[in-house]
Amino acid sequence: MKNTETPTMLPPGAYIRTLRRELPVTAAVVAAMAALVILFAGDSFSLNILATTFLFAGLATAWNIIGGLGGQFSLGHSVFFATGAIISANLFLVFQLSPWLSLPLVAAVAALLSVAVSWPVFRLRGPFFSIATMALTEVALALAIYFDRFTGGARGLSIPFRLGLENMIFRDRFSYALLMVGYLALTLLVMAIVTRSRLGYSLQAVRDNEDAAMASGIDVLRTKLAGMAISAALTAVGGTLFLMFVRVVDPPTLFSLFDVGVKVAMIALVGGIGTIYGPLLGALFLVPLESYLRAQLGGSVPGGNLIALGVVLMLTALFLRRGIFGAVQSAWHRLRRPAL
Amino acid sequence: MTAAFLDVRSASKHFGGLKAVDDVSFAIAPGELVSIIGPNGAGKTTLFNLLTGQLAPSGGSVHFKGHDIGRLRPNQRARLGFGRTFQISQTLTSMSVLENGMIGAFLHHRGLEAAAAKAWSALEQVGLANRAAFKAGELTLGERRRLEVARALAMEPEVLLLDEVMAGLNQTEVQEIIDLVQRLNATGVTFLVIEHNLKVVRAFSRRVIVLNRGQLLAEGSAADVLANPEVIQAYVGKKGM
Repeated sequence: MKNTETPTMLPPGAYIRTLRRELPVTAAVVAAMAALVILFAGDSFSLNILATTFLFAGLATAWNIIGGLGGQFSLGHSVFFATGAIISANLFLVFQLSPWLSLPLVAAVAALLSVAVSWPVFRLRGPFFSIATMALTEVALALAIYFDRFTGGARGLSIPFRLGLENMIFRDRFSYALLMVGYLALTLLVMAIVTRSRLGYSLQAVRDNEDAAMASGIDVLRTKLAGMAISAALTAVGGTLFLMFVRVVDPPTLFSLFDVGVKVAMIALVGGIGTIYGPLLGALFLVPLESYLRAQLGGSVPGGNLIALGVVLMLTALFLRRGIFGAVQSAWHRLRRPAL
Repeated sequence: MTAAFLDVRSASKHFGGLKAVDDVSFAIAPGELVSIIGPNGAGKTTLFNLLTGQLAPSGGSVHFKGHDIGRLRPNQRARLGFGRTFQISQTLTSMSVLENGMIGAFLHHRGLEAAAAKAWSALEQVGLANRAAFKAGELTLGERRRLEVARALAMEPEVLLLDEVMAGLNQTEVQEIIDLVQRLNATGVTFLVIEHNLKVVRAFSRRVIVLNRGQLLAEGSAADVLANPEVIQAYVGKKGM
């Protein structure tokens, strides 16, 4: 066995992965994804799929902070996604404010909003919490359609095509794909920091057993709210990037329960819930698969792509309890064990 | 001495018409090792939950080092120095044994490696260090109980409340826990222990509190209390067996 270097006098049995040991892995993963984009440079069709993949990988990673680590299975993250898109769109249309500058603002607003709406909902545990977040989505959508001055109502908002890095508007798909890799990098970095900190451990303790967590001195509500605020802030940033990527957004799309709320949870679930890199794996598998299925089956078998995705979810639930990441991890351990 | 270390005054907990804990008062001095005994349903665990804040009291007060802590939540009491184990063991099943210990250690150690080091020494104390990499869900019942003790130890508590921590353990394990409790008690940790095994009670506690039907039935030295006819009757039922 290799002798691992530890700064303190920890015995090998007390080995834990610290942030310092995690960050090189995170950097390598991000570099690999950037390499993938460079590999497909010039192929607009593939770059589009990659951009969408990395956007959803980032969103699923953000969701994973509260949904996976914290075990609070939110299906209402589309509300924070829409918050980012709508605020940035208004600031851009009314004040010509660069979306880069509105990013910190939408993150802060979404974090505050998430704390305000989660405060009462966090009294509910398990499926009751999930149902409440679904209801929240519907209420938010109704409000968004009513206040059409800010949201464009059912017609939506469109961003004029003003090229420029400062406007986050590019002609080529390559730049968008890289932009989304940047978003993925941000979410992975935050996820790594949270996972390798006391907050990450507290979130897992709350997920496993609230009574034991409380008896160990963990403020359960505060832990959940902190996880939710970080998750919501990152989700709102994803909303702004989505806005600049498609440039036409309407409330039914932004607040979509299936296309956003359920989808990010499903990606994390299939990839490996609660793990740092699982949601990325889930997105790499599911997003291209979905667009392929939509192209192949969308015309001939309406809804066929949804049936296929449903089958994937069922198979994951039956055979890959810990997602793709979990399966890869066990295979890796099985390979290494005889060598030890 | 000014105020008592842990002072319970007229603690009560009613569930509807049931008086699970009814007007119970006692005081604990620092460094004591007190056993709480009583038949099933006597209110022992409910009393524990009132002390740690898992349940809101129906009446009475709990003072700790002169402060009224009756309305504090469990995590706030943990911060003041309360550690506990649960009657039905509550481990963090998807986390490793080491990580379970770290959850306790984080109370006073912010960094991961400091918490891991503290958790490791707590695991060594209960003899679970060789299981550190296992998931808590993979442990046997006896190991889970010891893991709970380790998690509580990692919190460096001033008062440790053990709820039937010996149940389901074999004789060697019971002796190990007794030794551990006595060793820690000697270093100044105060213990409040719910225990059914009267041999254990006799072996290590100088003072015993007996609950019956939610009320304080007797209190005193182990020898006196266990010889008290009322206690024997409450414990083993009517004479004649």
